[in-house]
Amino acid sequence: MKTLAVVITTPPYSPLTVTALTYVETALIAGINVIGVFFYQDGAMHANENISIASDEYQAIAHWQRLNQQYQLPLHICITAAEKRGIACDSVDNEEINGAFTVSGLGELVELTTKATRLVQF
Amino acid sequence: MVSSDTQVENNLSQESGLAIINSKAPFSSDFGKDALDVALIFGSFEQKVSLFFQGDGVYQLIGHQDGTLVSIKDYLKTFSAFEFYDIEDIYVCQQSLVNRQLDESFHIDNVNVLASLEFGLAINRHQHVLRF
Repeated sequence: MKTLAVVITTPPYSPLTVTALTYVETALIAGINVIGVFFYQDGAMHANENISIASDEYQAIAHWQRLNQQYQLPLHICITAAEKRGIACDSVDNEEINGAFTVSGLGELVELTTKATRLVQF
Repeated sequence: MVSSDTQVENNLSQESGLAIINSKAPFSSDFGKDALDVALIFGSFEQKVSLFFQGDGVYQLIGHQDGTLVSIKDYLKTFSAFEFYDIEDIYVCQQSLVNRQLDESFHIDNVNVLASLEFGLAINRHQHVLRF
């Protein structure tokens, strides 16, 4: 069974995240087993609940949330990258972190990479 | 007749490990440090990881640099620990060095200088690629 893992290194306001979302959703619709998305570098900003993007612009975070709910797509954020960007990851029920995201470490990236047939970075 | 899917599968089975491409100069962004963190984690989980330096990324291998002079943590020092993490496959793009008039002298040992074609082929031998 072919598996896909995705790495997001761009922030939620980047047009690249639109491409990433289209790619991931198309893969899910095609029935490809997407084993997880890992948010690293500026990608970690996706989990920040305080980010507010003008309503007439692309709502990347809401779309990730939707894919997480609709397909149980695991969304992992790198704790070091997140804390560096002002997202406090110290408590489980943290209101600053979007509930669709799981706080993980780079070990999770190793896990996803070793399990995935393909790894794609945006 | 072999389907294209089977061919992809066959090619993949010959490839292994992760290639990390470093394409940014060391002290103007976080990319080099972020790539290093990924490399060391893969090394400590005993996963095969190779490092590629290309474009301005080749500056990360040049000696006598000290990030602390510009108040940046000198992560380049950690490169000397690669052996300890079993990171032994380190490649640099010769053309990138030539374009920047840099010598083939580096602050770590066992760096392989490759011409563009061989550099590309070496990346191609890996199953996964991350670029920083």
